[in-house]
Amino acid sequence: MIKKFIHQFASPKTYLYQINRAYKYIFYSSLFIYTFSLIWGLLFTPEDFVQGNSFRIIYLHVPASFLSQSLYVAMAIASVTYLIWRVKLAAYLIIAIAPIGAMVTFIALSSGSIWGIPTWGTWWQWDARITSTLILFIMYLGLISLHTSFSNHEKADKLLSWLVIVGFVNIPIIKKSVDWWSTLHQSASITLTDRPSIDPSMLYPLIGSIIGFFGLIICLVIISSKVQIIKRESTKSWLKDYV
Amino acid sequence: MNPIRKKRLSSILFVFLFSVSGVSLILYSLNSNLDYFFTPTELKKVQMPPNKRIKIGGMVLEDSVKRNTSKISFTITDYENSVIVVFEGIVPDLFKEGSGVVALGYLDNEIFYAKEVLAKHDENYMPPNLDIKQ
Amino acid sequence: MFNLAFKSLQEAIYMSGHGIYVWSVLIIVIFCLFYAFTHYKIRLRQLKKRLDESN
Repeated sequence: MIKKFIHQFASPKTYLYQINRAYKYIFYSSLFIYTFSLIWGLLFTPEDFVQGNSFRIIYLHVPASFLSQSLYVAMAIASVTYLIWRVKLAAYLIIAIAPIGAMVTFIALSSGSIWGIPTWGTWWQWDARITSTLILFIMYLGLISLHTSFSNHEKADKLLSWLVIVGFVNIPIIKKSVDWWSTLHQSASITLTDRPSIDPSMLYPLIGSIIGFFGLIICLVIISSKVQIIKRESTKSWLKDYV
Repeated sequence: MNPIRKKRLSSILFVFLFSVSGVSLILYSLNSNLDYFFTPTELKKVQMPPNKRIKIGGMVLEDSVKRNTSKISFTITDYENSVIVVFEGIVPDLFKEGSGVVALGYLDNEIFYAKEVLAKHDENYMPPNLDIKQ
Repeated sequence: MFNLAFKSLQEAIYMSGHGIYVWSVLIIVIFCLFYAFTHYKIRLRQLKKRLDESN
């Protein structure tokens, strides 16, 4: 049953059919949630007792930082799927996600830098969290340039997947960097285990902005994966009816 | 899972473990060098060559901030040990007594001469009119 | 929970001095998202067109 389901969904044909149906709903609902949460967070929440109004950058910075890591995890899952089952769609997804991951990581780094100016008094410091996020950004760029430098697609896919798996070690390092070492960056406000150390009036728009941003990025991944499928399957006769 | 896929899975795990062990060896050997700052207690333990540029971090001790003209002096503490810091310049807005701080400078005769002072804040966010809830 | 934090538009833009940071980050985020969506949409349209022409 499961095997059948995976095999069906793993065919670019079914994938295109499903995402074409779902795209509109995901896009408009997440655009609404994101806009609503940002207006709520930027204009309606009370200011922070220490940081004042500059804390409002949290509604832009945290979703991007969260997604920068989630997208890498998604790439790693796709890599494992490709390497074990040789699912072509997984290989398309890896290279579809990489540029979006780079963009999101860029947002996370630049918003963090700007946030640092009024609060920390500096825009860049080589602490463990900031440095490991910069490494993530460079890794995304490296994967993209590596893929474009290959003319043989299959070879590029394989090499890319292996590199994604090797680089995956960076993800737990980013996550735990604020606990393992002393950093200028504060530790996480929202964790799975503890009560969030952020007041509910500020927490709800934050959760909304994370969900909304997540949805918008999924939409980007959908379009970008569509681009990859058309590029790579352009000889298939069924393609025309599905794009 | 058929044997070919099992083999692929085990080689993936092997490559990943290999990179994990490699990176953890690097991190282990760098160890304290990855720390962004020394706490006053750590500073006491290590023999620091004088005039070496380092960063120390901790909390600003209550009632320790003294300002005269452009100079400011305060005590950084981790509630076990503390270091007196002298700084000439403008401190960030978030700098205040009882909050986190990181100072970059050098130690000379138990006094830390800071070239740069950064504010470090914690992960708590709340409106100003609420008391800190535990 | 839904009380405006600012009394006037000027105050909301200024944000007691922090407005420049908050709004510039917002501009970066909106620009990046907008750029990415248009980039991929245009790319998709080009590829579709080429696909139509080839058949």
